[in-house]
Amino acid sequence: MDAKLKETILNPIFKGNPITVLVLGICSSLAVTVTLKGALVMALSVIVVTGISSLILSLLRNTIPGRVRIIVQLVVVAMMVILVDQILKSFEATYAIDKQLSVYIGLIITNCIVMGRIEAFALGNKPWPSFLDGVANGAGYGMILIIVAFFRELLGSGTLFGVDILNWMGYVPNNLVILPPFALILLGCIVWVQRSIQKDLQEK
Amino acid sequence: MNTNNNVYTVIYTTVIVVVVAALLAFVSQSLKAKQDANEKADTISQMLTSASYASKAELGKLGNVAVLDKYAEEIQEAFVINLDGEVLRELSTSRENIEVYSPKALKRQNYNIKGGPNKSGEPELPVFVFKNGKTVVPIYGAGLWGPIWGYMSFESDLRTIGGAYFDHESETAGLGAKIKDDPSFQAEFVGEVADFSSANVFDIVKGGAPKDADGKSVVDNKIDAITGATMTSNGLDAAIDTWLAAYAKYFTRNVEE
Repeated sequence: MDAKLKETILNPIFKGNPITVLVLGICSSLAVTVTLKGALVMALSVIVVTGISSLILSLLRNTIPGRVRIIVQLVVVAMMVILVDQILKSFEATYAIDKQLSVYIGLIITNCIVMGRIEAFALGNKPWPSFLDGVANGAGYGMILIIVAFFRELLGSGTLFGVDILNWMGYVPNNLVILPPFALILLGCIVWVQRSIQKDLQEK
Repeated sequence: MNTNNNVYTVIYTTVIVVVVAALLAFVSQSLKAKQDANEKADTISQMLTSASYASKAELGKLGNVAVLDKYAEEIQEAFVINLDGEVLRELSTSRENIEVYSPKALKRQNYNIKGGPNKSGEPELPVFVFKNGKTVVPIYGAGLWGPIWGYMSFESDLRTIGGAYFDHESETAGLGAKIKDDPSFQAEFVGEVADFSSANVFDIVKGGAPKDADGKSVVDNKIDAITGATMTSNGLDAAIDTWLAAYAKYFTRNVEE
């Protein structure tokens, strides 16, 4: 694998993470991080949507009329989101989790990461790197989602993946952690950690 | 090729939209049967939970087929009544063709009970009688963010609550969502008694229901609301009152006989 491709994959995971560095996709990371299971399914759904939409639009990139390119992107992304939602609803194993995530699966379409990566990368690059870029950005997003959900479920419900971790020893679940503002506080902490490791992000 | 001329743009967008629409319509049609089966099994497992056959989590592990088997095995009779408590028609309970009321069907009946512009006819109220003597009826209403619904079962005296299960579309996780996720909230209903003679059939009380000396809830028609979820608790209270009041004639008439 050449260096450029490697950079495409690794950059969104840490150095150019869509949530902590580009500050995209904040809204859904507040909404679906109450439980780890929800965050995991959401992360996988976003990876599928960003990866495949980037691939399709990169394949179409030379034929798309410039003036309506945003509309074409929107149609393709919306299609992917509806497909993911329909498929999650169809399997016994994922039906309950889809019910729990309810509107947020449908709202992946409003996730700025998806359109942002298509506009910035997929329309100017070959299909394979575009696909990898989409998947990597989805994974970068998913990783933050899972970190936030880990703390929120542990402190807010005393469980992880629904398994009792803290409650048996008399832990009283903290309701503040369940509410969206705490996700923002956690995100702030993650950005803080990242910026102290990665000095070039700090403003002079 | 000039991709910026008008004719090209119009044809391009038309083609892509038609292709996507056709694909989605095809996928939606081919998956519909599976989705409906999932929804039906989910509804049935909610009823079985409220009739205290098993917890929702246990039924979830069984899978759809086993849930339907269990229902077909345990159901005594199912029928639809009107506001006067008269039986309108039987609901099929055979394993091949189980008839239940999905949340969508309950929503329609909710409009019919409450009247108003969305009313589409006389209310049809489903009643499910199980072999363990419990009678299960649905409730439906508005929570804070979206619809809430659920099932309550009554013992054979048709007053004492035998169990309850509630579900919601988008209540706040950890707060309003406790109506579904917190088994101890649903357990509060068990043993309480609905008061069908008043319009306020059942109360979910903010600030706490009356307690006896041991701190146990007094047997009445009141339970504690959920802390931090006043709007959801009020919505559930209203939903229960509306629906149980609609069933009142059915429940009380059987008592007189």
